[in-house]
Amino acid sequence: MTRRLNAPNPALVETHVDGSPRSVNRQQVALVREEWRVVDRWWTEEPVDRRYFDVVLASGENAVVFLDREAQSWFSQRA
Amino acid sequence: MIACLLIPGFELRAALRERPALALRPAALGPAAGEEPLLGPVTAAAEAAGVQPGMRLGEALSLCPDLALVEQDPATAEHEWEELLKRLEDSGFAVEAAAVGCVYFETRGIERLYGGLEPALKRALAAVGPAWEARIGAAERRFAALAAAHVARSGQALIVSDRPRDFIAPLPLTLLPIDPQRREELEELGVRRLGQLAGLPGAAVAERLGPDGRRAWSLARGEKRGKVRARKVANDLAETLEFPEAVANELTLRRALGSLLDRLLAQPERRDRAVRKLALSAKLVGGGSWRRTVTLRDATADRDRLRVAVGVKLAELPAPVTRLGLELVELAQTVGRQLELVQPEGLELRAHLSEGLKQVRAGAGSGAVCSVLEVAPWSRIPEQRALLVPRDD
Repeated sequence: MTRRLNAPNPALVETHVDGSPRSVNRQQVALVREEWRVVDRWWTEEPVDRRYFDVVLASGENAVVFLDREAQSWFSQRA
Repeated sequence: MIACLLIPGFELRAALRERPALALRPAALGPAAGEEPLLGPVTAAAEAAGVQPGMRLGEALSLCPDLALVEQDPATAEHEWEELLKRLEDSGFAVEAAAVGCVYFETRGIERLYGGLEPALKRALAAVGPAWEARIGAAERRFAALAAAHVARSGQALIVSDRPRDFIAPLPLTLLPIDPQRREELEELGVRRLGQLAGLPGAAVAERLGPDGRRAWSLARGEKRGKVRARKVANDLAETLEFPEAVANELTLRRALGSLLDRLLAQPERRDRAVRKLALSAKLVGGGSWRRTVTLRDATADRDRLRVAVGVKLAELPAPVTRLGLELVELAQTVGRQLELVQPEGLELRAHLSEGLKQVRAGAGSGAVCSVLEVAPWSRIPEQRALLVPRDD
């Protein structure tokens, strides 16, 4: 079965007041390295509006998570 | 169109072939040794008495004290299933066995052969034979075909030609390949039908139930067509040895295995090809059976290496055996191996890589080896950049 590489996976994210992640999958975020937005396909019926965060977790692991602003859900992804 | 041929409770039917009288009495497939005491498929008489597949043994016996427990017989089930697949292949159907008792095939090629879709499906039912009480569902989508097969009566071919989503909407969630706990979670939320699940927002389903839930949601919406990957026609290389009395002695069993290997390796149908995957099976003294498959790291036709690789499985036999069988499940295309003087490169290196990939596929199953195909490397959306495409070359 053909499938997409780097498809997003649902993630459990708690946020600070400013919307940046405080914990990812129950692991504390030690540092937000980078933040960016991807807005694309707004002219289609499946627009993409994501707020990405490249974070370092308390365990030292790197992770990239994004908030899908259309669905208001968090996902993790190898960006 | 994709057709799904379904035989509910295949393992029980196969185990009852030697005791047909039990088929009319309340009977159920018992749990395997060391497993949770849950029932397998049940007969119609048992179902009428309130016994359901998956029920706890104690509960089932208190509901129906006359319930007969049939011992699991995986080798017979495997053998009967293989015979059935061969009969379908002999009739021209390129089949993909999804599980024991459930097989898919594309109808496009055979419709012209049998003069239409319905005659082709009837031919498939005839090839299976009436004793198995098979039923067929056909639809544009794989999941809709499976759903139609579940709805069809024994011996019926049900074709869903248009609006498959409407067809599957009133059906229960039990058809979905999801964890029972997830299904219960959905039912507690009031989602009991596929149509109700399909009506939910996909992101909400993904967040609550994870990737499996998202896949189930996609199936319920009838979105995925799903491809049928026909299996390669199996090799018919198998040998068995009957013992005059039950044998438990490992030395005797090892000698028997050596003899089976000699006979198999001498078969001209092997055409000197190396062996990639073998299956060792046994008929146990209590009436049950046992089967283990072995995938070799390197395909070989060396008797001693094969004996060592398969011989370790003999220690796992749970009881004395009355019959021992050995089957060459998959053969490599190579007939020998030349030792290398210089580092391989070019075509030779590619051949080695291809052989290694075949080995992985034999061990992990079709679809385990994929290529990365870049489709839009410039895309700002990471999942749009590349696809994983299964390699079957």
